[in-house]
Amino acid sequence: MGKKRKVILPPDLPSEVADDDIEVSDEDLEFIGQNREYAGFLTNLDTKSIDRHVKRVAGHEDDDLEALYEQRKRKASLLKRNDDDDKLQVDPVDALPVKTLDGKLEYRTADRTKSEAITNEKDSTEENEKDTSVVKLTKKEKRLKVKKSRKEAKKEAKVEEKGNVGVEKLHTEVLAKVEEDLSAEELFRKKKIKLAEIGLQLLENPEENIKSLKELLKNCDDGNQNIVKLGLMSLLAVFKDIIPGYRIRLPTEKEMEMTVSKAVLKQRFYESTLLNSYKAYLAKLIAMEKQPSLRQVAVRCLASLLDAVPHFNYRENILVSVIKNLSSPDDTIRKLCCNATKSIFLNEGKHGGEATFEAVRLIASQVKIHECQLHPDSIEVLLSLTFDEDIGKSDTQEEAVKIKKKGKWKTQDGSNKVQGSEKKKTRQELLAKTREEVTADFKAVSFAPDSKERKRMQSETLSAVFEIYFRILKHSTDSHASRSKTDAASFSHGSSSLPLLAPCLKGLGKFSHLIDLDFMGDLMRCLKQLAGYSDHGTIQNPLSVSERLQCCIVTFRVMRNNLEALNVDLQDFFVQLYNLLLEYRPDRDQGEVLAEALKIMLWEGKQHDMQRAAAFIKRLATFSLSYGSAEAMAALVTLKHLLQKNSKCRNLLENDAGGGSLSGLVSKYQSDAKDPNLSGALASVLWELSLLTKHHNSSISSMATSIMSMGNVNPAQSQVFLSTASPLQAFRDSSVLCELSKPTSKSAISRQKRRELQKEYFLMDPEEMQKNGNLVDEDEVRRKLEDRFAVHKVITENERLRKELNHTLSSISLYEEYNRQKKQKRKGIPKSVLKH
Amino acid sequence: MAKKMGRRARKFAKKNLQSVMKRKRKLNALFKKKFAPRKANSDSPEESKKLKNDMQTPVDPEEEILDGLDSTNLFGDLFIKEDDDFDADVSDSDGYLSEDPECPYISEDEEESCPEEMCNDVVLLEQNTEINQTLKHQKRKLFKLCKKAPQFSKFLESRRSELIKSKSEEIYSDDEGDTSSMDDEYIVENEISQVSKVITSSTVDVWCWLVMEQPNWPGLANLLNAFRAACHYGLDTGEVSPVKIANREVFSKILTFVLSEAKGIFCRLLRISGCLNKDTILKMTNKPEWKTMRPLIKSFLRSSLFLLNQETDSQVLVFVLSQLRLSILLFSAFPSLTKKLIKISIHLWVTGDKDLCASSFLILRDIASEFSLDNIDTCLTKAFGAFIANSKFMKPQNIEHIEFLENSIVELYSLDIQKSYQKVLVSVQQLASILRLALKTKKKDELKKIHSWQYINCIGLWVKFVSCNYKNHDLEQLLFLIIGVIKGIAHLFPGPRYLPLRFKCVKMLNQLSFSSGVFIPVGSFLFDCLEIRGTNNAEGTKLKHLDFALLLKVPKQLLKSQSFQQASILSAIKLLAEHLSQWCYHVSFPDLATIPLILLKRFHENTSLESVRRPVKRFIDQVQQNSDFIQRNRDGVSFSPKDKESVDSFLQLEKCDRSAAFTKFYNSMLQNALA
Repeated sequence: MGKKRKVILPPDLPSEVADDDIEVSDEDLEFIGQNREYAGFLTNLDTKSIDRHVKRVAGHEDDDLEALYEQRKRKASLLKRNDDDDKLQVDPVDALPVKTLDGKLEYRTADRTKSEAITNEKDSTEENEKDTSVVKLTKKEKRLKVKKSRKEAKKEAKVEEKGNVGVEKLHTEVLAKVEEDLSAEELFRKKKIKLAEIGLQLLENPEENIKSLKELLKNCDDGNQNIVKLGLMSLLAVFKDIIPGYRIRLPTEKEMEMTVSKAVLKQRFYESTLLNSYKAYLAKLIAMEKQPSLRQVAVRCLASLLDAVPHFNYRENILVSVIKNLSSPDDTIRKLCCNATKSIFLNEGKHGGEATFEAVRLIASQVKIHECQLHPDSIEVLLSLTFDEDIGKSDTQEEAVKIKKKGKWKTQDGSNKVQGSEKKKTRQELLAKTREEVTADFKAVSFAPDSKERKRMQSETLSAVFEIYFRILKHSTDSHASRSKTDAASFSHGSSSLPLLAPCLKGLGKFSHLIDLDFMGDLMRCLKQLAGYSDHGTIQNPLSVSERLQCCIVTFRVMRNNLEALNVDLQDFFVQLYNLLLEYRPDRDQGEVLAEALKIMLWEGKQHDMQRAAAFIKRLATFSLSYGSAEAMAALVTLKHLLQKNSKCRNLLENDAGGGSLSGLVSKYQSDAKDPNLSGALASVLWELSLLTKHHNSSISSMATSIMSMGNVNPAQSQVFLSTASPLQAFRDSSVLCELSKPTSKSAISRQKRRELQKEYFLMDPEEMQKNGNLVDEDEVRRKLEDRFAVHKVITENERLRKELNHTLSSISLYEEYNRQKKQKRKGIPKSVLKH
Repeated sequence: MAKKMGRRARKFAKKNLQSVMKRKRKLNALFKKKFAPRKANSDSPEESKKLKNDMQTPVDPEEEILDGLDSTNLFGDLFIKEDDDFDADVSDSDGYLSEDPECPYISEDEEESCPEEMCNDVVLLEQNTEINQTLKHQKRKLFKLCKKAPQFSKFLESRRSELIKSKSEEIYSDDEGDTSSMDDEYIVENEISQVSKVITSSTVDVWCWLVMEQPNWPGLANLLNAFRAACHYGLDTGEVSPVKIANREVFSKILTFVLSEAKGIFCRLLRISGCLNKDTILKMTNKPEWKTMRPLIKSFLRSSLFLLNQETDSQVLVFVLSQLRLSILLFSAFPSLTKKLIKISIHLWVTGDKDLCASSFLILRDIASEFSLDNIDTCLTKAFGAFIANSKFMKPQNIEHIEFLENSIVELYSLDIQKSYQKVLVSVQQLASILRLALKTKKKDELKKIHSWQYINCIGLWVKFVSCNYKNHDLEQLLFLIIGVIKGIAHLFPGPRYLPLRFKCVKMLNQLSFSSGVFIPVGSFLFDCLEIRGTNNAEGTKLKHLDFALLLKVPKQLLKSQSFQQASILSAIKLLAEHLSQWCYHVSFPDLATIPLILLKRFHENTSLESVRRPVKRFIDQVQQNSDFIQRNRDGVSFSPKDKESVDSFLQLEKCDRSAAFTKFYNSMLQNALA
């Protein structure tokens, strides 16, 4: 063991990425494989010597620890330590089980080694440091909460003080109430602190404190919902941290009977406690997920567990509930679940692809149960799936590819229990039973199924995906047929009743290269029916134009990928496109889809019937006369491309009487024909271009000019200016926003040379304007002026009178003052005056 | 209040806080006037009544404009900056001219002793008599008291003189610093002519005769003083007027005579023959007569402006404006008065009725075309700002008014394209940036900004401007920018609710296309309405008429109604006809009409709306007919689309005649719409 460590550790230090670790362990395994005798030596090791070795290697461990510590600190702000921890646990050193003398496997976790190393070797300072960092990292939120609660408590205290100030009578009552509140508050605070403490202990030393999990779990039954939420979240954090990087297998009864060493017992106890608590936790979450008030928290926990530990036990249960919530009406829940599912699909390394398959199968059953009435998001997630390119190839081919592609130790060593033993290599067959067990267990831990397994998984997943898609298509066509006319009467899109069709078509487009040829016929039939244009105009196709265009696009994608194998007449789809061009409405339908359809059906198409090409050329030209710049540009790019590829169609540019000998069946152009082949477009002339040269958008007018000049050039030369821009590109380039941001010059250049004021009127009738002044009747004005005078006079009079009145009144009131003064004066004067 | 401020502070305030100061000054005056007597007798019931009256005095119209601008500078903010020094010399001392003492005064006892006979305001009259009676009663009381205590009258007098003293002190301290003009020397302080002379109608007649007969008669100053007094009549400004107008005839005579004859009189005095123009005014200022004439002219102009500010009757205003317009060039010698005139005219132009609008617009146009560049700038910015402030709402009553405002702004801006192009460009760019933001963020606030009459009217204004001037000027860049903005608006508001807005956009695009000859496809904006499905039994919400001109978005309850469907289809057809009629002689007309025809035919087949079937059918037939006509003609030609010259000359003859059936159809359609 110690020896092994020595081999491993040095390269381990600089590497911080999980993949690198695996590479290192690769060498390691080779080393062991080559020196088989060492394996025997391993089995003979006793625990004491291991301990001794560990002590010896502790120096390395310290470095490792420091590196980790720094790493953590760096990421502290992101609160994203799970990955690091995972990495630590996935570290092959610890992931590799150690077989003890009595044949029991002993699993080591990084935490344990770490703590051992520390307790044995180093002084406590560093430990403290580490601990604080851990605290900061994982419990940051919680700390904040604690702080907050303290503040609240303080506030509460202040309230109490205020209460004291209050009226004496009420004092006791108020106090009692406040105390009650306070105690509730206090209790809450205490509980929170308790939670935090337990969580910290668990993180510090999961081995010792594993029992605390139960305590934490108990907290989740609290009556206070906030406490429950906090408890759930802290459990989530703890579990994310301590769940080992392998799947725990509880010992069988037979194994239990065996006498084992103390360490093993301890480990067993640890694992079983962990597993049981985890199980209880999940059960709780799944139960709470049904309560509206706790649903969000529960789903959040489930989703992040699925994201963080998809390899661990009980994944299936989590998946069921997450997938069920994929089409939840609640936006946040849906988003959480979608992201978790996507991460399952994207990080297959974490769980070896099994979870992917399970998830897809669950989605499929959901779709089946709900008869395609789900939120589009639940299908949208499938777009994140990735499949190997060689999934459809034969086995022999694959073998070679596999080795070349992932020439890693996993493949060499790859046997698995599920598949059976027939694929085992001879050397492995010779291995002892114990060795076999080791590899099997190791496999379970490292999640690297062999490519066979992987392929099988992928093809199963793929077929499940297509099952979903075909079910949706089938459903759409069925409802399409039964849809009544009234449904389509609304102005808006008809897609509302077929929520899954759009993402389904998108997905079909994406995975079209993987579709099995056996399904192709059915698929084509479905798509044709969906895209189908009803000739009897009154019944509207319930699908929106965008969706129908999507159908055409998917068809062509599929066709292009399987061109040699299929012989399907695509004429119908061209008819669709020809007519859909008229149905298209900007701002209602997605212009990008139209451009995409033009691109894939016309621009990229290899060869076209001349009649059809001409018909499309004519229709596109007409189309660009009625539609906005972006659409017109996409159409013109396509048109130009068609003209370049079909040199004979360039006759459309010339006005030859009668359209030449090429006119074919129809001698006169029928603009309203529904079938491009019957439109007789070859007989027409592209007069549209002359009007397009006057187009307000300069790029369109110059495009029209350049198209017009194509007629002169002989076919050989025309190759020179084969445009590279696709219709989609052209569409994006001339969108409304782009049109707005063109620069404008700062000054106007007058067409008249002299700068002179314009004296004449533009909009107004000059005579009428001149007349204006004379309209006024002077007598009338005079009369009005007189009236004004009179009114003003009255008003002035009024004011004057008021003023005078005030004046008089004030004078009278002054009399009293006068009297008073007089009295004062008179105090010394004889009464004779008074008599007077 | 002003007293408490330091000198510098006051200066600052004067420069930057015009409106505040003005209001303050006014309030000051009010308080002084009203509260001075209150000190003596505070609980008179009359007092409060009077105060109430004062509160009701209308707000200064100038301030109103300013307020309006401030609150609505959404698009005009770039223009509002020039108000700072505007009132710099508004407070020019505005006093009476020194008079000719020789001037004849014919005293007649014709002063109206009882105005009751002619006045219509019965309430006021009644009040007057009532007050008169109480006054008599109180006076008698006072008299008795005085009799009772002879000492009391002395006491009273001493009190009164104290009061007056303190009052006058206040007035002077407030006025100081306001009087700083070169015209001061000509102003006679009020005290000199304390005794006011009464002007009777015979006096006025004599004066008028003298002025007309003797060009150099010095009594002109007296006449102008009388004019000033008349203009200020009825306004208690606290100063004592040197002249007193005897009666109503005199009042109107003075005003009308001076206003209508002023131009002639001044021209004669300045010895300018013929009409006034820029050069003569320039020459005139160098003449020796100018020095003596200047105060007279200034007094006249200022008094007229004062009258404009005070008068509320629109006919009188029109009269004053039209008379002032004859001598408008006199203003060019007084920049501050010109600015005042612009301000007043803009206010009247925006708020007045039809005639008043027109005459104030003429004033503005004259100023913009005749005066210095500085004034054009002010005119343009202020007019635009006032327009923006007043175009917030569209009602049936003000459609015409707003259109007139739009037209007049276009006229003003078209006077000097070089100058206005910058302004228009800045404004359109501003609109474009608002739109860009809205397109990017799609936030409700941003959308609201665009979905407002202000924005739409502003765009409409510049569309008009471009289409008026496109032929003579190179406005291509501006044109493309505006097209981009309009298309952006249409793109930003899809759906049937915003159809009216969309129709407006299409109309503007048609207008631009028509005036510039550029091809702008509009079909795709209109095809939507062919797919609106109304419910057939919406009799509850039936409206007689839905006027899209007054709407930007359709009320929700009408969305499903037949009337809405009908109105939208008819509007769409009209706009489509407008679009097609522009190209109805173009060689590619059949192709242009292809898609609309296909869609309309299908609509015609399927629609259940009987009321629109006929017009739609007629339209289809007409388009088809014209399409066939062009088709026949172009089958006969031998040139190809790339032959530009031939394409341009195709059917030119018919185009000049406008003889094709479709043109006739379109014209009749227009006439139907008007009828």
